Amino acid sequence: MPANTPAEAAPGKPSGAGSPSNGSDPRGSDPRGSAPVVDGAKLVRERRLNNAKKNWALFRSDIPAMVGAVVLLFFIVIAVVAPLIAPESMLDVTKQLDVPRYAPPSLEHPLGTDDLGREMWVRILWGARVSILVGVAATVMSMVIGTIMGLAAGHFTGLFGGIIMRIVDFFIVLPSLLLAIVLSSVLERGVFTIVVAIGLTSWASTARIVRSQTLSVESRLYIERARILGAGHRHILFRHLLPSVMPLVLANTTLTVGGAIIAESTLSFLGLGDTSKESWGTILKNSMDVSAATSGYWWYVLTPGIAILLVVLAFTMVGRALEAIINPALRSR
Amino acid sequence: MSTPTHDDSRPGDPNQGPTGSGPGTTGAGPGSAGKGTDPASGGAASATGSAASASGSGGAALTGPDQDMDEPPAGGSFARYFLRKLGGAATSMILVVLLGFFAFRLLPGDPVLKIAKERPMSPAQIAELRSQYGLDKPVIVQFWDYLVGIVTGDLGESYVYRKSVASLIGEYLGPTLLLTATAAVIAIALGLWLGQLSAWQRNSLFDKVASSTSLIFWSVPTFWLGLILLMIFGGTLQWLPTGGMVTPSLEPWSAAAVIDVIKHLILPVITLVAVVYAQFLMVMRASLLEEMSEDYLTTARAKGLTEDEVRRKHAVPNALLPTVTVVFLHIGGLIAGAVTVEAVFSWPGLGKLTFEAIRGPDLPLLQGTFVVFSAIIIVMNLAADLVYRFLDPRVRRA
Amino acid sequence: MTDLSFENVSITYRSSSDRGDVVAVKDVSLDLPAGATLGIAGESGSGKSTLIMSALRLLPKSARLDGRVLLGGKDLQDLNFGQIRAVRWAQASIVFQGALHSLNPVREVGGQIIEALTHHAKDTWTTPEKRRDRMFELLSEVDLDRSKAIAYPHELSGGQKQRIMIAMALACEPDIIIADEPTTALDVIVQKQILSGLAALVAERGISLLMISHDLAVLSAVCANLAIMRHGKLVEYGPSDEVCLRPQEEYTKQLAGAFPQIGDPESRLNPRTLKPAEVTRAQPYTMGDEVVLEAKDLSVSFDTRHGRERAVRGVDLALHKAEILAVVGQSGSGKTTLARSLLGLQEVEPDSQLSFAGKPLPKKAKALRTFRRQVQMILQDPSGSLNPKRSVYEAVVEGLRVQGIRDREYERVVGALEAAELTPAADYLESIPQELSGGQRQRVVIAGALALDPQVLIADEPVASLDASVRGEILSLFLALKKNLGMSALIITHDLGLAWNIADTVAVMKKGEIVEYGDVDTVLKDPQHAYTQELLAAVPRLGSQSLVRNE
Repeated sequence: MPANTPAEAAPGKPSGAGSPSNGSDPRGSDPRGSAPVVDGAKLVRERRLNNAKKNWALFRSDIPAMVGAVVLLFFIVIAVVAPLIAPESMLDVTKQLDVPRYAPPSLEHPLGTDDLGREMWVRILWGARVSILVGVAATVMSMVIGTIMGLAAGHFTGLFGGIIMRIVDFFIVLPSLLLAIVLSSVLERGVFTIVVAIGLTSWASTARIVRSQTLSVESRLYIERARILGAGHRHILFRHLLPSVMPLVLANTTLTVGGAIIAESTLSFLGLGDTSKESWGTILKNSMDVSAATSGYWWYVLTPGIAILLVVLAFTMVGRALEAIINPALRSR
Repeated sequence: MSTPTHDDSRPGDPNQGPTGSGPGTTGAGPGSAGKGTDPASGGAASATGSAASASGSGGAALTGPDQDMDEPPAGGSFARYFLRKLGGAATSMILVVLLGFFAFRLLPGDPVLKIAKERPMSPAQIAELRSQYGLDKPVIVQFWDYLVGIVTGDLGESYVYRKSVASLIGEYLGPTLLLTATAAVIAIALGLWLGQLSAWQRNSLFDKVASSTSLIFWSVPTFWLGLILLMIFGGTLQWLPTGGMVTPSLEPWSAAAVIDVIKHLILPVITLVAVVYAQFLMVMRASLLEEMSEDYLTTARAKGLTEDEVRRKHAVPNALLPTVTVVFLHIGGLIAGAVTVEAVFSWPGLGKLTFEAIRGPDLPLLQGTFVVFSAIIIVMNLAADLVYRFLDPRVRRA
Repeated sequence: MTDLSFENVSITYRSSSDRGDVVAVKDVSLDLPAGATLGIAGESGSGKSTLIMSALRLLPKSARLDGRVLLGGKDLQDLNFGQIRAVRWAQASIVFQGALHSLNPVREVGGQIIEALTHHAKDTWTTPEKRRDRMFELLSEVDLDRSKAIAYPHELSGGQKQRIMIAMALACEPDIIIADEPTTALDVIVQKQILSGLAALVAERGISLLMISHDLAVLSAVCANLAIMRHGKLVEYGPSDEVCLRPQEEYTKQLAGAFPQIGDPESRLNPRTLKPAEVTRAQPYTMGDEVVLEAKDLSVSFDTRHGRERAVRGVDLALHKAEILAVVGQSGSGKTTLARSLLGLQEVEPDSQLSFAGKPLPKKAKALRTFRRQVQMILQDPSGSLNPKRSVYEAVVEGLRVQGIRDREYERVVGALEAAELTPAADYLESIPQELSGGQRQRVVIAGALALDPQVLIADEPVASLDASVRGEILSLFLALKKNLGMSALIITHDLGLAWNIADTVAVMKKGEIVEYGDVDTVLKDPQHAYTQELLAAVPRLGSQSLVRNE
């Protein structure tokens, strides 16, 4: 039994502009001046600003999330400036003939070198570009599809709703990796293919969250009230349902990026990636091809994996913090 | 109100009701796109979920409780439930079959040209390949042949192995089942057990360690974890075999051979378990946390039960229900994880076969493994729905 | 026999949020001698639930208790956890709101009763067989069939679940039973059965009863003594009759006054409140002859799992200009379905005739939307009816925007808010629902309907979820809207007192049919139908232990 909340609902009385009117005629026919000055916009802005400040304070107090944010920032920066630090020529095998192969990490070769004498740190740097890009792009795609499908599945009933539901269920049941393997093996190899393969197949979990939230909002009285006021699907979908699922979707986005990065590396590892572009998955595939794991070239296996681990963990930490911030707001209804 | 509401259009679907009230986002696991699974199923109780427990608010009239008009409805036979679930599974299976065909024929990229790209072939050879695989026939005929093939168990012939796909899959199916079933059992037991302990001792050291360990495992690619294990235990320490399932020299089914298989099994199973148990832990933890504010636990405490009894007898049985559905959904992810794990450890199963098919590229084989993998997962989910029916009295008898 | 006493109890919730520590109970002293009955009344947030949870030390860890809670002379703070567990249920047991989630949903209810016995296996119920027999004995004491033992909570109605809770509370022959809102969410008739059953069982055994409720009438019907709590403090304490009929404190007067005495001429068409809504017209509108909304032979059926069920059967209704019609019935009587069909939200049987201002109700989506401007509905729960993220202005303007009314938007919104007596309206425009009290929220919802200038308001239990003190305000608002604007209203309620307070006519519904329909004074003073009589008899009245004495 939850204890009674002792605080009585305090009637907030923000002082708005506009003098109190004396008339109680609901027709509003009494002349109150032509152009009404609603200074509500300012109040709304202030409220949003305050919320943002409060949320930022909450986020800042979450140490893992802050660490995650810093790690993310680091990787994004090095991905952006990679060409400046390490010119692309450093990846050109033909120019690395004098560099020792399989050199273990040392002062000269900080993260060691690979089977073709390329510096691991350069490969990691360049790999960050593709891995993060694919992760983010695939996530955006999957979020858009997932939100649309989830809203539709939760809102519409009847035949249309039923069909949407079946499609969502199908994608929930089948692991996205399996579908992504099929898609990327029949499409042309390339970064874009990987993005599409992950984006098209991984939206089900988003759709599921959105559907469940939509169903719960849908059963609330204010939706019924909107119907009574005469609202149609469009009004309910865009004015009530979408705003209420957006925070969840955004928090979920950050969580999903991690999954997409792992998916990218898995597809690359299986040989479905773009072999001409560096990505962390590609590096791992190369290491597997030369049996680095069993031959003692531990740095070849370890470094790209740790990069993946760090970035995924960072996205997850940030996502969890965002979720925790959003959740009380969702529950306090 | 016993008046049906207009928006409650999907009564009693365990995929929604229970999971709706299930894992909240408090402890919700990491998102999941890449692994195709969903630890955070949304904190809000769905319309159906609350309807199940809020039905009927009238009472027993003195004249006899059973005539009361507010008596909660009974009904919904098992047969109907079963048929509905079966229908759902059948639809999924049909979609898989359709996808299996159209993805491989209609998407850009001619399968034969792809093969031709890998090895040099003359136009005549290409044409011959085309006719050999029936690719020169009209699409509709190909589709018909494919359908007939699926029904009769003929999944075509592998480009690479030059054997029928069906016989290849039959050969490789057993090891995969052995690997995934072992991993599933261990992961479920470990995940649920740790999850409920974590939730009950929320924010304790144990909870923090358990949650962060599982998060770390969740944040690595399955195959990479496999490579690391392989490196440490197979490479450096040389305690365990690095690949395969059996040492050929041993007599099959002898005690030594069984131990040998177990030795081969250890690393792949650990890899799969480590990556998957985290999700079970998270789901169980979140769903138990959700239950912990429920009134019936206060009743149980007021009755004088110890905290341990309250957890074991009241909270956990309720928290398990939403978890079961999610756990079975994750089994799909586990099976997909087998693809990379088998590739890393050269485990002679369907995953390795898929890996080989991708390398080929061997499209008939890939199509075959896709259809078979999907079928296994769909059957598992159907089983989950049926198990659920027996676990949750609200679905069983409502 | 055991006494329970609270000595200068204060309870504080430590909170890490910026609100700081919250004092839920402040310096309360109360005594419950063996065999006595005590009721604690208070509105939500009064701290009454927190107080009784301390009687079994069931408070959450974040709560700090000052003062002493003595059970049989022993300070509960001094007991170790094992001793506390032994006290729980064996000496004092609790009846929670069984209609909600106080029973474990996945275990058979019989087993849940037996569980209490196993944990306090006094010498009497040593074996499983004896415990089972005891469980059956308990079921028959609360008038439940033995077959219900293997039922799961969801298979029982609210009243039956409450009976299970009572059986469970009696199981170990406790000295004290604590009842926490035992009849909330139950219908009046069931409420009467449960209350009189509980009172009789307690009296027979000499068990002392501590009951809390927001409903003064419910408490006074059962308990000999009453305590009134507000904001964590004890406001008034004394024998039921004194507190209810001759209250000393202003707050108690307000609470007691909020309960309509059906038949009392003073409260007829006059809901008691400190803040009555203003009647601004010199000549207030009264009920006219012109029929606004009419239903003839209205029937509604639903497809359910066991086939087609008729929720509304052949209802005839006519709502006149400036008439307030109360439709009274228990839950499941089809009254909400009736309201939804009058609004065109519900598919009706083909031979039903619905008309508005003499014309049949439109069927097409577009015409229906225009029709909705004329007939508006107010839903049961004002908190749920408002989107928590949207401001008052947005909530009120929603109808205008949906209906495509673009001109004089601001004036219309302010006008509607003021008509709903949320003044000065400009101050509230940008508030979000969570900043408003329950009564204010309901006013916003009403304003949202008024903004469309409707001729008819249909309200579904408009005051059921509001605190007693706010009830009168909202009811008087309905009366004022009728008098000032000539608006007609159809009010769905389970509460006959509401009809007495504001309605011109009343229709009593049972199982989808209207069993009695007519002028409020006639129907409520001289009910003809047996069901109306039963409903009237079940309404708890202020005054000492009326239900107990009725038995």
